[in-house]
Amino acid sequence: MEIVAAQRLTFRYPGAARPALAEVDLSVRKGEFVVLCGAPGSGKTTLLRHFKRELAPVGELSGCVRYDGSPLADLPDGRAAEEIGFVFQHPESQIVMDTVWHELAFAMENRGYPQVVMRQRLAELSSFFGLEPLMQRSVHELSGGQTQLVNLASVLLLQPRLLLPDEPTSQLDPVAAREFVYLLRRLNEEFGVTVVASEHRLDDILPLADRLVVMADGRIRHDGAPGEVCRRIWAAGDVRERLYVPSVARLLAALDEERHDAPGTAGSAAASSAPLPLTVREAVASIDRLAKDRTRTSGERSEGLPKTTDGGTNGQSIFASPESLRQPASNGVSQLRSLLRLKTGQDAEAPREVLTCRELYYRFERDLPDVLRRLSLQVREGELLAVLGGNGAGKSTLLQLMAGLRKPQRGKIAVAPGRKLGYLAQNPMLYFSSDTVREEFARTAEYAGYRGGAAETEIAHWSDAFGLGELADRHPHDLSGGQQQKLALALALLPRPDILCIDEPTKGLDPDAKEAFAALLLQLREEGMTIVMVTHDAEFAARHADRCALLYDGEIAAAAEPPLFFGGNYFYTTTVNRAVRHRYPNAVTAEEVLCRWTNDAARS
Amino acid sequence: MNAGGFAGLHPLVCFIYYAGVILLGLMLAHPVYQLASLALLTALLLLQRQGRTLARSLPYYLLVGGLFAIVNPLLSHRGRHILFYMMDQPITLEAVLYGAMMMMTILAVLLMFVSYRVVMTTDKFMYLFSAVLPQTALHAWMTLRFIPLFARRFRQIELIQRSRGIDMRTGSPVRRLKNGALLLRILMTWSLEDAMRTGDSMKARGYGTAKRTAYYPYRMDRRDRATLAALCALLLLSLAGWREGWGLLTLFPRMEPIRLGTLEWIHFALTATFVGMPILFETKERYRWKSSRRSA
Repeated sequence: MEIVAAQRLTFRYPGAARPALAEVDLSVRKGEFVVLCGAPGSGKTTLLRHFKRELAPVGELSGCVRYDGSPLADLPDGRAAEEIGFVFQHPESQIVMDTVWHELAFAMENRGYPQVVMRQRLAELSSFFGLEPLMQRSVHELSGGQTQLVNLASVLLLQPRLLLPDEPTSQLDPVAAREFVYLLRRLNEEFGVTVVASEHRLDDILPLADRLVVMADGRIRHDGAPGEVCRRIWAAGDVRERLYVPSVARLLAALDEERHDAPGTAGSAAASSAPLPLTVREAVASIDRLAKDRTRTSGERSEGLPKTTDGGTNGQSIFASPESLRQPASNGVSQLRSLLRLKTGQDAEAPREVLTCRELYYRFERDLPDVLRRLSLQVREGELLAVLGGNGAGKSTLLQLMAGLRKPQRGKIAVAPGRKLGYLAQNPMLYFSSDTVREEFARTAEYAGYRGGAAETEIAHWSDAFGLGELADRHPHDLSGGQQQKLALALALLPRPDILCIDEPTKGLDPDAKEAFAALLLQLREEGMTIVMVTHDAEFAARHADRCALLYDGEIAAAAEPPLFFGGNYFYTTTVNRAVRHRYPNAVTAEEVLCRWTNDAARS
Repeated sequence: MNAGGFAGLHPLVCFIYYAGVILLGLMLAHPVYQLASLALLTALLLLQRQGRTLARSLPYYLLVGGLFAIVNPLLSHRGRHILFYMMDQPITLEAVLYGAMMMMTILAVLLMFVSYRVVMTTDKFMYLFSAVLPQTALHAWMTLRFIPLFARRFRQIELIQRSRGIDMRTGSPVRRLKNGALLLRILMTWSLEDAMRTGDSMKARGYGTAKRTAYYPYRMDRRDRATLAALCALLLLSLAGWREGWGLLTLFPRMEPIRLGTLEWIHFALTATFVGMPILFETKERYRWKSSRRSA
């Protein structure tokens, strides 16, 4: 029984050359948990907005949307508002009232519910969400995750049958994002609410979803069970689409592929038609199966050959790499310690430090607790340093101190002589003051002190490097999230800083934009720039950082190269590392695993 | 929110009380009544732990009130009892008394507002307001929200833009003005963009689909109703007495004696009970905690 369906839905924004949706047919059954994914501009948000009548964009429309058996357009206003709930991307801008209880009651007040009903619903839902301690708080005191929870709860108080979250976790940190997604699943399972969520960070949500719909250019490309769709995407081989596949699935697909490329295994192609694993649990099982498979085939191959060691029959010991034999995972801590000591020993001949923080103390106001306490950190020439840490750990504050925006109460920040600092805040909106990108550049160049021809050449250089040339006449606020990020970065780079401090650059970026951003960072570093980045994104840091530092309790709790850093963590690490930690404790990215896997294969 | 004592009562009760106090304060003009009101309000403030606030602001209040007390006899020379001459101008007892009464009226209103701010938070006031006019109250709420929101955003923008050399604090006045305007412009574009999203969020949650109601986190219980009834009765009696001329000291053309008559004493007792009502709740609250600590 379907609850909502798009039938040959075609939609074109006024003045757009291409339709945003092209003959989309999608039928969602009652109680399903559907994830819509796709690059920005693929039409996923447009489609989602068509399911919520009040938010349907204006433009040329053909085809229709049906809700609960009749056209959505015929649904009475009241039912449309109550039964279809929509949660937006930006937690803060959805807030209308200023206290939590009032924000929660807002939707019910709009519908004119009597006092008794409001009181009962609020009581039951706030206890389900665990919001009681927050009820009297001001909404501005809440973290992003809590704010998004309040937004969801406010919508749920109308008891919707269909819930449409539009990239609800893109602005949240990974922990809050995971909690939010699990909550969606609970609502789906325990209350039978149908969920159609658009999302581009699929690692967390996909294992919970019943169905994955991939969109591209306003059309539906794939539609089916998540594991199955991931396999199909991988098989199709589109590099950009492959970025959307969760990292464990990507790892397994790659391992599987590698197995098929290996000689003597062409016969077992059947396994590759199985859906890809999406959770760490499934991945561990699949890797074990693959390893066993490989041992068997290599055993078959070596049957004719004289046996060199008797350990050869034991799959596990063959598979285990020499390193991991020498350093079993159970002994990870001592291993880590020895490696760390080794690293600190190397520090003597390491490249020189361009920025040193020595015993920094910082608090916002006299009566508030210290945010940073005795914090010391060195930034080396030409490195990409990623600072990780929980919500409210003081990461952004540290970055602002480093960039000289704030002054520490105690301690010293020493910048190597002649080095200029640049700073890029999390919210690009803080930068844009002009009507066009061109003006924005001109103004920044003026403030950066460029005169005449120098300004022209600098602007041309950066707008070319970032591909902003064709956007010169657009309004900065009309750009997509990724483009805004790029523009803000270009503006920060215009004065040519030597050390760049960036706050959460990957927040809200789709995987494609993230790759592009990583490439940009690489390019900047090749030009000799030192980059300090504050981030929640463990995967990004693992792949691209030279060093990672963990900020905890006001100080740097650990700082090391990604393999060491993440290899020692149990929770704050990449999903890939969690899937393979018993085999390759220090492998944190799919590439590393693949590389070591191939080496092992060659050895066996 | 964990407010005990008088602030723990329903906002309507509190509001009626403060409205009554201001009404009586402005209408009754008799030194005995006024002195009693001032004493009761001070006691209330001390019980509400506002002693420090009071000590800090009292000099200013006295300054404002004292100005009336001094200026009035200098300007007005009506009355029969001449106390002394100042620069050939008679200073009359009536004018001095009148000035002092004006000062006490002002002081009473100012003291009342100190207590009002503690008890009637914006929340409570808006709640009362929204019960009468839900739609207007919503708009007022949203507007009120913008003030701290803009201030917070502006601080963020200022911090970031200073790192780019756009600063309101340094440079020539013209440059400062220019930079300030630029910062405001960023704030405006950002906020307008954000307001569009807020609008979507309101529409998505059924704004305008039905006649709005207001959710009250407060509920009238028996104690609230009883207090409300008592306050209303006292206030009405007090006002009725005022129509009889009690609680008013006639100064012109002939000053009446300050002493109160028997019926006026009763009226005074009623008025004082009204003004002193919150003290009852505050002392009860204090005693309750003291006694529970003793028994524990």
